[in-house]
Amino acid sequence: MITEAILTKEKAVIPYVTAGLPDLDTTGEILKVLDEAGAAAIEIGIPFSDPMADGPVLQKASYAALQAGFSLDRLLSRLEKWSGSVRAPLIIMSYINPIMRRGIKETFSILREKGVQGLILPDMPLDGYELFTMCRDSGLDLIRLVAPTTPLERQKEVVSQCSGFVYAVTVKGVTGARSSLPAEIRRQVSDIKSFTDLPVCAGFGVSNADQVKDMLTFADGVIVGSWLMGRIMEAEKPVMAARQMFVELMGSKRI
Amino acid sequence: MKVYFGEFGGQYVPETLFPALQELEDEFSAAWNDREFRDEFNSCLRDYVGRPSPLTHARRLSAHLGIEVWLKREDLNHTGSHKINNAIGQILLARRMGKQRIIAETGAGQHGVATATACALFGLPCAVYMGTRDIERQHMNVERMRLLGAEVVPVSSGSATLKDATSEAIRDWVTNVDTTYYLLGSAVGPHPYPTLVREFQRIIGEEARMQILEKTGSLPRAVIACVGGGSNAIGIFSGFINDPVELIGVEAYGDANGRHSASIHFGSPGVLHGARSYLLQDRDGQVLDTHSIAAGLDYPGVGPEHSFLSATRRARYELVDDRQALEAFRLLNRLEGIAPALESAHAIGYLDQYAKGHAGAAVVVNLSGRGDKDLHTVLKEGI
Repeated sequence: MITEAILTKEKAVIPYVTAGLPDLDTTGEILKVLDEAGAAAIEIGIPFSDPMADGPVLQKASYAALQAGFSLDRLLSRLEKWSGSVRAPLIIMSYINPIMRRGIKETFSILREKGVQGLILPDMPLDGYELFTMCRDSGLDLIRLVAPTTPLERQKEVVSQCSGFVYAVTVKGVTGARSSLPAEIRRQVSDIKSFTDLPVCAGFGVSNADQVKDMLTFADGVIVGSWLMGRIMEAEKPVMAARQMFVELMGSKRI
Repeated sequence: MKVYFGEFGGQYVPETLFPALQELEDEFSAAWNDREFRDEFNSCLRDYVGRPSPLTHARRLSAHLGIEVWLKREDLNHTGSHKINNAIGQILLARRMGKQRIIAETGAGQHGVATATACALFGLPCAVYMGTRDIERQHMNVERMRLLGAEVVPVSSGSATLKDATSEAIRDWVTNVDTTYYLLGSAVGPHPYPTLVREFQRIIGEEARMQILEKTGSLPRAVIACVGGGSNAIGIFSGFINDPVELIGVEAYGDANGRHSASIHFGSPGVLHGARSYLLQDRDGQVLDTHSIAAGLDYPGVGPEHSFLSATRRARYELVDDRQALEAFRLLNRLEGIAPALESAHAIGYLDQYAKGHAGAAVVVNLSGRGDKDLHTVLKEGI
């Protein structure tokens, strides 16, 4: 259960990892060390050729993973092993086209069979109800995004068609580490919490342990993607780097 | 307003953008029903763009092909293509919405030039996203945009062409959505863009219909236009959509090595840049690289209304390759003294296929732009 996994962690940090970078074996090892280091849940990103919600780092990660020969079949063939070897619930993040191409229902049920627990779609259509029910019927949590621009009525509608946790987007913009984050996120999170019992996790732009610490004072969890992937891509030993960076984010000293 | 055309269209965008798309739809609906807005749009088209554009009887080309060819001369518009119609319409909308900054994407540079021109006319700052590959092959338009005071932002990600420029423009919009108006150039993207762009381009079809009736006393057998994203085609088609007239879109069949950008012919339904439409993609749903000698057609998707017109068989879509487009470019120069844009040359290039079996038929071809920008490319291939 994603909801429980977040609520029972004292410090719920959710790392994002682009699948297949530099290869799927490495992705599997990265998941393991992140899990051991205390990740509350782990987002696995399916690379896409045209990631319009992503900044330069995750664009580059996506592109490199595709160049390295990523395929959805190969990912699916690993998922079962991965989900069996980590405690943290696995969440798939994918643009909608790769899932549509394969067949939405079919893909949802395969993901569930392989032990995936949740799904994030950054380019959901305006009316997401059908996708929400399809996810629910497959036993997957559909984690929805609430943006700083989302009007209150729409926030309520989105959250009513959401499970697992609510993903509060901290900034107007695309993914990517930022040195400072807007103060409004505090109010945005408390607004959302006023009408839902689901945990509310904040993401986009998180880049250091202080931000994580600060955000955990009002949010139930924090999602970290670009900053982590940027470090992983630069590192000679990506698995070790992932572990070090995550431990640093959690606020412990480097090991 | 309809969000979908049958099973095509829709809004598949980051959550941040939904309020902006709603605002755009509301403002457009209000403006389009506002007499004052329409008057201002029409007077800009008349006094600045130079509309109506003529309908020219291509006499020597007609004799050569054995059909009666009428050219809708969008190449004679200010800035040299149909793109200015939409740029003027949307800039008036942006002003009405109080937006302080304009962004756009461009492939061939025609939409970029049209947008930069409209921004100069109304004194608004402008950033145009353009793939580095297109910057190289459409250099003259890059310089024109800079002269007009626009910032040309190079995009080197992915295939470094129109699709990547479009993604980058969307990213800018998500980031600066409060202050910035995204002036999309083709009939693609999330609702309401495909509808809005069609309405601003509808003037092409309305004029062409009146002109052909005035000149020949009857409707043409067919209306023919090139299709990349499909704004010039949807503009001219919309004037004839309720008539017993064949509507024919011409897609770019590319080089001889199987590289093309014919999304309707070879694509399957998929989501790119916020809409569901025919898309060139692999079995994993990754968008494929495309090729056309015409930068403005070099796009893996197509406007959702074209997908709908194809699926419902109201329009059909044909193929013309790079070589045929180049031949048509040369032919129109020699027989009519007109240099078409390489995009429009695809529509001209289809005529000899059409002429077989349609001897004597009258056709209207949308000559969507002029070819000065392509001289460099054509000269490389040899006159």
